[in-house]
Amino acid sequence: MDRTQLLLGLALALFALGLLGVIVRRNVLVMLMCMELMLNGVILSLVTFAQQTATTVGAALVFLIFVVATAEIALAIPIVLLLVREKRTLDLGAYADLKG
Amino acid sequence: MGPDMLTLIVVLPLLGFLLNGVLATRLSGNLVGKGFVSVAGCALPIASFLLVVKCFFDLQAGGYTPLVETAYRWALIGDSAFEIAFYFDRLSAVMALIVTGVGSVIHVYSVGYMAHDKSFGRFFAYLNLFLFFMLLLVLGRSLLVLFVGWEGVGLASYLLIGFWFEELANARAGKKAFVVNRIGDAGFLLGMFLLYQALGTLDMDRINAAFGGATPPAVAASLVGVLLFIGACGKSAQIPLHVWLPDAMAGPTPVSALIHAATMVTAGVYLVARLSGLYLQAAEASALIAVVGVATAFFAATIAVVQTDIKKVLAYSTVSQLGLMFLALGVGAYGVAIFHLVTHAFFKACLFLGAGSVIHALGGEQDLRKMGGLARKIPVTFVTFAVATAAIAGIPPLAGFFSKDEILWYAFASTRGGSTLLWSVAAVTALMTAFYMFRLLWLTFLGQSRIDAKVEAHVHESPLSMTGVLMLLALLSAVGGFVAVPHFLEPQLPLPKVQEALHHLELPLLVLSIVIAFAGLAAAAYVFGSGTSRAEALQRRFAVLHRLLSGKYFIDELYERCIGRPLVWVSDFVFLRLGDRALLDGTLNGLAALGQRGAGALGRVQTGSLHLYAWFVLIGIVGALLWSWRHV
Amino acid sequence: MIEALLQNLDTLLLVLFAVCALAGAALMIVLRQPMRVAMALISTMVFLGGIYGLLGVHFIAAFQVLIYVGAVMVFMVYVIMLLEVREAEGRDYSGLLLPGLVGFVLLLGTMGIGIWHSLPAHHHSAGNEAYGISKFSISFLNDYWLHFELTSVLLLAAVVAALAVIRVSRRANHKRRHG
Repeated sequence: MDRTQLLLGLALALFALGLLGVIVRRNVLVMLMCMELMLNGVILSLVTFAQQTATTVGAALVFLIFVVATAEIALAIPIVLLLVREKRTLDLGAYADLKG
Repeated sequence: MGPDMLTLIVVLPLLGFLLNGVLATRLSGNLVGKGFVSVAGCALPIASFLLVVKCFFDLQAGGYTPLVETAYRWALIGDSAFEIAFYFDRLSAVMALIVTGVGSVIHVYSVGYMAHDKSFGRFFAYLNLFLFFMLLLVLGRSLLVLFVGWEGVGLASYLLIGFWFEELANARAGKKAFVVNRIGDAGFLLGMFLLYQALGTLDMDRINAAFGGATPPAVAASLVGVLLFIGACGKSAQIPLHVWLPDAMAGPTPVSALIHAATMVTAGVYLVARLSGLYLQAAEASALIAVVGVATAFFAATIAVVQTDIKKVLAYSTVSQLGLMFLALGVGAYGVAIFHLVTHAFFKACLFLGAGSVIHALGGEQDLRKMGGLARKIPVTFVTFAVATAAIAGIPPLAGFFSKDEILWYAFASTRGGSTLLWSVAAVTALMTAFYMFRLLWLTFLGQSRIDAKVEAHVHESPLSMTGVLMLLALLSAVGGFVAVPHFLEPQLPLPKVQEALHHLELPLLVLSIVIAFAGLAAAAYVFGSGTSRAEALQRRFAVLHRLLSGKYFIDELYERCIGRPLVWVSDFVFLRLGDRALLDGTLNGLAALGQRGAGALGRVQTGSLHLYAWFVLIGIVGALLWSWRHV
Repeated sequence: MIEALLQNLDTLLLVLFAVCALAGAALMIVLRQPMRVAMALISTMVFLGGIYGLLGVHFIAAFQVLIYVGAVMVFMVYVIMLLEVREAEGRDYSGLLLPGLVGFVLLLGTMGIGIWHSLPAHHHSAGNEAYGISKFSISFLNDYWLHFELTSVLLLAAVVAALAVIRVSRRANHKRRHG
């Protein structure tokens, strides 16, 4: 098992754990954080692959992903805040209005 | 001869139909009065008649070579052309003269008879329409044109039987006539298909030539003969398709006279006579025709003996006489059958129109039990009716005697199937015919009056338009027999050879016929001469037989039970409930329900729970990975 | 194998950081209170940053800590504190715990086998060229300046959206108080 395989395995594990967290946790904020975890796993795999080439493409892409992730979280949290204010609970079970 | 004279003969009544139908009916608000309708309705058939006479003289001048006229090419299908063509030879001449001649006088009669009817215009329109189709039938060259005429007269018959359609029974009678005719037409169509397949043409002169030629065509003549005869049974009311004719008496009397006595019902006879070339080669079919004809004649005569409605007696009499015509056809005496057709047209039309005159005089009464003693009150009707009765009974030297005697002779002695059995049944039928016709005469005109007092006060003779026609037809019934129709038709329809051994019996049988006629007269006079007591005594003695005959052998009930009810059951249960509701509606509704239920089931996936959606993402990723690696 | 690892401190540290990151992630699933979950995530991110450093991309490690931990996670912590999340209310796990775990195992298995077998043979020995931020920024602003501008547009859009959210929330508040 070499380094690349180890890192990719780690990335996979992080992604899988993040997705599992989205499925099993009830708290909205915890779900958001698990999504961040998924994103981190992906970034790790991107960096691993980027290191195998001699260009800067990978690094530039990682940088841009950071920017986008920031913007995303900056907007996701206010949306969650508004929702929570409506429903008065952080339990995702109460958010099933779009059923059927 | 003008180039399109035959077409003109056919088209003139059609013109009458259009004129009267458009202008004189409720459709256009009765634009014209009765005068216009009468003139238009009668003048056009008379004009047709005159044209037929002219064509007859042209035919004679031309040495009797048939006149052929093609009016119009109907269809061109592949290599075969179907044309509307008219053909005028000896047989067509005789038929056309009868159709237009008797038809015209009946039109004139209707002017008087239907004078008080509110649908005067419609009646003449339909009558002209009928004449148009009948002329198509008799003048058509190919079976196809004949069939158009065949169906058309059926349509006109339906319209006219149900003329007073506000009464449900009349409408039903019209429907019954049409449906029973249709059954016969199935056989007709099959026969036509076979002929076309074998010969490639439907022109009747060519068909006759093909069957009479050296090499027989590839189809069994008897098979085609039987199929076409089935069609004739339907149209000419032979067993088992005779049930419509008595019911058809629901129509006005001129209709009964024209359509159900003189012309339409004889279309079957005309068909067989026209295709004599085919039937000469079809021995089995001819035998069948003879048997069916004589059986029908006998059967109908037995029923006529006990009928109490004046028109029903005449209806069964018509069925019986048609049976005799088919008997003649069956033994190969085609010309003789046509001869009887001609004389029958004269005296049966006279009888029906006379009955109409009686009904008119009595203000609508048709029951024989309420008539009697009319001879003095309506003498012209009485005399003409008596002449016609004598004619049908076969009293010499009136017309019926000649034609009926010829039929009996050939039934006995023809080499093409004549036998003693056929002759004897026919002779008994003749006896019964004489009996019931004189019974009719007695009950209606002679003896004590059994009429209602109120009705009796208004009894009056009919107007000249009616009595004039009666006198003309009575005259023709008297002298019509001297026109030697079989001899005239012989070059085209040869008379069959007579068995050598029986040649000498011709005269004795002639005498026997006369004896039969007078015997019937005597029997009727005996039973009915002095009031009804003897008749009632006989009725009581033979009560069971009387009930059977009055009930017309319960054939209608049999058909209803065996055919009508199962068909209704099949329609209701199999087709409506099973086929339409359960199968078709069920399938459609089932598919719709399936779609709905499927959508409902699939819709349950959307619970609104994000966890579930995320889980689906997970499963989707796994699935996609597995699928993309399946070749690894 | 252990000798080989011991001979290579680099690799040892890498393995250590990897294990710790994984532990942090696992804790996220298990811990009940959101604040503790946030802490676990922060720790995972820091260890990831360490891994990036070991790989040689130091500036990315710096960005990870600065931006991700320093901005994103701090914001997250603020929100948790703002919403005054009490002890976990009601049950902790959603109804899909068991199906989730099954799917998780399947995913790990499938991708794990994929990783194990089908990696291309070429190994660049990663991490040899430590490349510095100057080299990176020169090539970034020379070749990828367009993407840089586009991200600034994106950030502008985010700012506008944030303003809109504020307005919406203010109106909702207003309606609730005076509706």
